[in-house]
Amino acid sequence: MHILPLFPALGLGGAFLVSLLGRRSKKFCDIFTNVITCALFGLSLYSLCILKSQTSPLVYKVGGWIPPIGISLVLDGLSSFMLIIVNFVAFMITLYSVNYMEKFTAKFKFYTLFLLMLAGMNGVIVTGDIFNLFVFLEIASVASYALVAYGVEAEELEASFKYLIMSSVASLFILLGIAFLYSYASTLNMADIAVVLSEKGLNNAMLFASILFIVGFSLKAAIVPFHAWLPDAHPSAPAPISACLSGIFIKALGVYTLCRLFYNVFGANPALLNLFMGLGAVSIVVGALLALGQVDFKRLLAYSSINQIGYIILGLGLGTPLGILGALFHLFNHSVFKSLLFLNSGAVEYTVGTRNIRDMGGLREKMPVTSSTSLIASMSISGIPPFNGFFSKLIIILACIHAGHVVYSFWAILGSILTLAYFMKLQKNVFFGNLPERYNNVREVPFFMKTAMVMLAIACIVGGFMVLPKVKKYILSPAQNVLTHGLDYKNINEIGVK
Amino acid sequence: MDYRSFFIFDSLSKFVGFFVCFFTVIIFIYSLGFIKKKKFAYYSWFFLTFIASLGAVFSSHIIALIIFWGFLGLTLFQLINLYSDKEVAAVAKKTFIIVGGSDGLLLVGLLLYTHLTSHYYITGSPLPINNTLAFVAFLSIAIASFAKAGCMPFHSWIPDTAETASTPVVAYLPASVDKLLGIYLLARIVKDMFILDNISKAILLILGALTVLCAVMMALIQHNTKRLLGYHAVSQVGYMVLGIGCASTLGLAGGLFHMLNHAIYKSCLFLGAGNVEKRAGSNELEQLGGLGKFMPVTFITTLIASFAISGVPPFNGFVSKWMVYQGLIDFMNSSVSTGLKFIIAMSLISALIGSGLTLASFLKLNAGVFLGRAKGKVEEARPSLLISPVVLAVLCIAFGIFASATILPFIEDSVGNIPMIGLWKPQPATVLLLLGILLGLIIFQLMAKKVRISPSFVGGEELNFEQEPNIAPFYNTIKELAFLKKIYALAERKFFDIYEQSRKFTFLFIRFLQYLHNGVLPTYLVWCLLGMIGLFFIFFR
Repeated sequence: MHILPLFPALGLGGAFLVSLLGRRSKKFCDIFTNVITCALFGLSLYSLCILKSQTSPLVYKVGGWIPPIGISLVLDGLSSFMLIIVNFVAFMITLYSVNYMEKFTAKFKFYTLFLLMLAGMNGVIVTGDIFNLFVFLEIASVASYALVAYGVEAEELEASFKYLIMSSVASLFILLGIAFLYSYASTLNMADIAVVLSEKGLNNAMLFASILFIVGFSLKAAIVPFHAWLPDAHPSAPAPISACLSGIFIKALGVYTLCRLFYNVFGANPALLNLFMGLGAVSIVVGALLALGQVDFKRLLAYSSINQIGYIILGLGLGTPLGILGALFHLFNHSVFKSLLFLNSGAVEYTVGTRNIRDMGGLREKMPVTSSTSLIASMSISGIPPFNGFFSKLIIILACIHAGHVVYSFWAILGSILTLAYFMKLQKNVFFGNLPERYNNVREVPFFMKTAMVMLAIACIVGGFMVLPKVKKYILSPAQNVLTHGLDYKNINEIGVK
Repeated sequence: MDYRSFFIFDSLSKFVGFFVCFFTVIIFIYSLGFIKKKKFAYYSWFFLTFIASLGAVFSSHIIALIIFWGFLGLTLFQLINLYSDKEVAAVAKKTFIIVGGSDGLLLVGLLLYTHLTSHYYITGSPLPINNTLAFVAFLSIAIASFAKAGCMPFHSWIPDTAETASTPVVAYLPASVDKLLGIYLLARIVKDMFILDNISKAILLILGALTVLCAVMMALIQHNTKRLLGYHAVSQVGYMVLGIGCASTLGLAGGLFHMLNHAIYKSCLFLGAGNVEKRAGSNELEQLGGLGKFMPVTFITTLIASFAISGVPPFNGFVSKWMVYQGLIDFMNSSVSTGLKFIIAMSLISALIGSGLTLASFLKLNAGVFLGRAKGKVEEARPSLLISPVVLAVLCIAFGIFASATILPFIEDSVGNIPMIGLWKPQPATVLLLLGILLGLIIFQLMAKKVRISPSFVGGEELNFEQEPNIAPFYNTIKELAFLKKIYALAERKFFDIYEQSRKFTFLFIRFLQYLHNGVLPTYLVWCLLGMIGLFFIFFR
């Protein structure tokens, strides 16, 4: 049996079953969803093994139709890498939700929406067809609009509305771009489009389409100046969803799609890469500065996501193998520590009932697990060795210097210092200092929440080893190769293992 | 891969590494008596600090160096935060931002260095500073060592940490091991990594001289013993930077020796302050006084260390300062440019003045804590808390009188043969000094019946100790001088604190950005549109 269709199918099927059967029993929802996310994570690891045993990428033709006519699903190093990230974090999040979502009503609706979103993300990653990509992107987006508004208070609804509008604008641009692309290439299969584009070359219409794509996917990825929806939407959602949105959603829908289109389909060109570097650099500092000014725990983290996405885009914009490696590595790291931090914020909110860091303090004594995992995550994201974020930032900065962009390397360090500053602010106000008297009875969060946080913290520490040559060649290098030899993607229909 | 490709065991790193171990043992012994709560957290971070420090000292591969070096920021943060309250948390945050930020600069500086030299080792072929990139790399790496050691303008975490963190932590990190590391890195930069040009030497000298003078001026007016010592921990770094800034063998040796001496007497002083804190329950000069007769051992060790830090012969501080001065004079003789000569002369003068002011401020400290009228009866600290200060005080004397027999050979191994240009024979001088004191005692004994009690000599200060025995406002007259008054007022408002200034500056930007993020959806859509127009402009230009 072919595993590729399972990635979107498991999520979709699970969502269907949970909505059908979950109303009766909360326990069934918990177990069933966790089994599905766990299975997806297992499958992603398995996909890595399959890929290792093959010489070329895997292509699956849906319904047996030949690619230009039918839809194809593609598994190469990059999609396998993304699948691992997405499904690992999703698994941790569902584990965490078992306890956390107790305080909300209608847990099964949450799980339904979550699984739909997950199916959408997995679909975006495995699909080889650009219109299919759009459909999955919309599935994930629509589910996320609902999830942002899940609390149905005024704040959540406002955030969700803003997010809905901005994100629909993005979807519209993307759809328009696809229309342009289709009119030019007469095919929707991405590999075929790549073939046509390399034969016919780019004309102004294609430039126009690529601008539409950049705007659309930058909106999804929250790159400055297209970021404004994120600081409202991410904090308003329940903590597991915030973790999912910041940790994997913007990467699967924004960064991954940008990579796929501009490295594999259009082919990277210097003007585009310079643009990416500029956008990344602006995001790094604007995000960091805005985060530094925040006193809301989750809003601070949301701005921090903009800041960290900036590093990824900067690395991608360098276009050198080292820069791409750094960007992909940072993408992995960021999804681990940012979801961990959002789960920490959820744990703190769960116990003390507020998100304003000025009202907290001294929680280190009362919540040792939350406090130490959040310290690990903060150190990772600030690039303190020996945690994983240090290594990815090191690679990105080294790549900047080797590519001759010394100014960008100092710019990146400036962003890193600001990151350290706002995480120090967070740590100082939340976990260190004096414990206010009203929190004397605060207790550590329940078991599953702790488990998820601890496992993510372990990933933060172990993640640093991914850059060791012996480990790198299994996970990072295949993904890196897909992007460094970007235009090889067009041959995928011929050479791909069926 | 061989471990040798990551680590280096040459004389310099062995020398520094040995003393890292030495201070770890000394402070560990002291901690056994001092640390009563949260022992597990304290000792685990303490040993992680130790291991990471050793790693940093022995690394030759730059990636290994950055990893160990950067990790030390986290351990420092955790150790300061051991008994966290609001104030401590704020200090720990500030410290970590300064230290961690400078570690970031170290990272980019070292990576730039590898790019320029195309090797990954700190002990490869030295890079001449003859272009902007090399200069930038040099500056970034130097800033990291400045922040670690506490050279101005990256010093402001040291007085704060000294005042708030628990004593063994202060004695271990800012006073000894961080100094060893910071100055070790600076020595490596000057000796093995770069060939300095005159501009970079001048920068080092100016910063060193400023550090000596400004920090000691701040120390004069402090009321808290640990904060006072903290400012001296900054001021003394100036001498080390001056020595190393000469980039000659003599200067390097002087700087390294001063680094070692400083670690010895400054930990001794902090441990003494810790003993006083433990027994008298305070570090404020207003609340202390007359402890000399209750705590004789602490008093004597502190006194010896005070003499040593003030550069009184024959203690160790004198020898190393003497070497630094010789290095400066030698450098002045050998340099051709008049501007450089002027800078060296000014540095020399400020170093000399700084030495005098150090003595003045330690007069205040010792008089305020140990002399004067006692405010209550206290006991001498427990023996376990006395071992370490006594050992350190003995070393202050030993390294002073027998420097050339004990420690200088090791420094010579590290930097090369030291061509002393001045004359100082410690043993005969000590004998003469002792004879002088003995003679005085004999005269005193012979005329013991005629003791005259006169008012305390206060050096022209407007104080009356007989009526109000409070040393804290001593030297307030300096603060009131027309020219210094404004500077002191600014300094107390933290105007010269790079952290506070950059924070203000950053928050200006942040307020502007927050003003832009007004939460109105159409505004945000307009941004998207503007962004898109920008993209069109870029692509269809």
